[in-house]
Amino acid sequence: MVRDITIGQYFPGKSLLHRMDPRVKIVLTLIFIFVIFFCKNFFALGLMAAFLIGGICISGVPFKMLLKSLKAIMVIVVITGLLNLFYAAGGNVLLDLGFAKITDKGVYTAIFMTVRIACLIIGSSLMTYTTTPTMLTDAIERLLSPLKVFNIQVNTLAMMMTLALRFIPTLIEEIDKIMNAQKARGADLENGNLIQRAKALVPILVPLFVSSFRRAYELAFAMECRCYTGSNKRTRMKQMKLSWLDLLFVIGIAVLVTGVILFNHFFTHLI
Amino acid sequence: MPVISLKNVTHTYGEGTPLSVSAIENINLDIESGELVGIIGHTGSGKSTLIQHLNGLLKPTSGTVEVDGENIWADKKKIRSVRFKVGLCFQYPEYQLFEETVYKDIAFGPKNMGLNEKQIDESVRRAAKYVGLKPELLTKSPFDLSGGEKRRAAIAGVMAMNPKILILDEPTAGLDPKGRQEILNMIKSYKEQTGSTVLLVSHSMEDIAGIASKILVMNKSRVAMYDTVENVFSRASELEKMGLNVPQITRIFIGLKEKGINLDTDVYTVAEGGKRLLSLLKGGMA
Repeated sequence: MVRDITIGQYFPGKSLLHRMDPRVKIVLTLIFIFVIFFCKNFFALGLMAAFLIGGICISGVPFKMLLKSLKAIMVIVVITGLLNLFYAAGGNVLLDLGFAKITDKGVYTAIFMTVRIACLIIGSSLMTYTTTPTMLTDAIERLLSPLKVFNIQVNTLAMMMTLALRFIPTLIEEIDKIMNAQKARGADLENGNLIQRAKALVPILVPLFVSSFRRAYELAFAMECRCYTGSNKRTRMKQMKLSWLDLLFVIGIAVLVTGVILFNHFFTHLI
Repeated sequence: MPVISLKNVTHTYGEGTPLSVSAIENINLDIESGELVGIIGHTGSGKSTLIQHLNGLLKPTSGTVEVDGENIWADKKKIRSVRFKVGLCFQYPEYQLFEETVYKDIAFGPKNMGLNEKQIDESVRRAAKYVGLKPELLTKSPFDLSGGEKRRAAIAGVMAMNPKILILDEPTAGLDPKGRQEILNMIKSYKEQTGSTVLLVSHSMEDIAGIASKILVMNKSRVAMYDTVENVFSRASELEKMGLNVPQITRIFIGLKEKGINLDTDVYTVAEGGKRLLSLLKGGMA
């Protein structure tokens, strides 16, 4: 349940994708996602998928782990697929079920949509798998730093994100402990109707909130003791530098975008 | 008949993955009724995994756990009744408090057992007495109590279920010496008053030596020793190899004996050690 969340998970490695500048990686991932929505036919989408598969091979992240990230949103994928399968308008009828007709266009759209969502999720997971949470927040901080002009405390936001990510595993462990303690006192978490189950969560949520606040206080004190003030003048131990590697990937994405535009243009007659 | 009996119990975390770890391996153990067993072992020796098997929070990967001669996993639906029979109090139990009042929190266990109002009231008041919580504290919010009081309220929450077997994981962790002694005395008197079996996990040899009738030593996922206090501490060098120590006062006596002074080394408390030394000195002077 909680363990299926893959966002913020990191797969250690030294591949080209791991060594890329996280800022460039984020921007390119955003472009990639953006372009997915511009694909008008299977050729364009296939090009995107091929590029993605290439990226996965380079990264060295096991394909299984990426599929795991799909598991969490499987329901959405399936519903989108089914809706498109039954309700796409037009095309030749392949199968008449009485209440709904399945047309060839429906089948195409369903597959198209499913592949599109899969690419979307796997693409963004690939980025988080190859970037440590700290690097990610650092990069986001840098990318958002122009907002400082509007008096937005970008570094505070980034620190909040870092802390939130940092505490996910801690909280999971904490929930586990509290659940065991209450189970040992006979708490029944598995049976009963919806209301009973919701009530059964109280003995878990209250201690969880209490300990979260306690942790927050302790952390705040510890940070203050190390003179953290959240000012803009903090320097960084690791400086981010662009390299030829980043240029390589930028060119790669540029080629991909051009390819998609060309395919969209030349194969308009195909779906 | 032993009250708890483990046969070839093994538990592997993450079985089937490359990260699988055996937390306990092939444990065979019989605990007789009425014992006060001290469980010691290094961090990661499998103590916590072991005790979570005794009330069915963890299911053994292989092997059987019997409580009162019955396999606790024979009927999955009855696992809750095992938890009432084997009360388990985790480390830092004060973090599990959640109710509006101390009374309600202690009543959580008995309520889950399905007792009626009167029985619940009796259980709560009896448990509060065992741990030495003043009746006026029962109406307070558990979050307004002091650290030591919170700890005692949480332990009372487990005692209130009137378990036949009480397991406490590091009940003295993070307390000052006075608090530690109070908790240990409380456990001892609880055991004497109720006649229940008590298992006490601890890092401190001194704590265990003072009150336990038997000691269970865990080492590298296995039971290294399970014997009387004297027999376990007489194997001081073996314990040291496991990175464990006998109580400081016992070490002094072992050291004195090695220096050629004729005395017995079955001394586990400072008070007892003082007496022995005094009588030895008096004897020497006479």
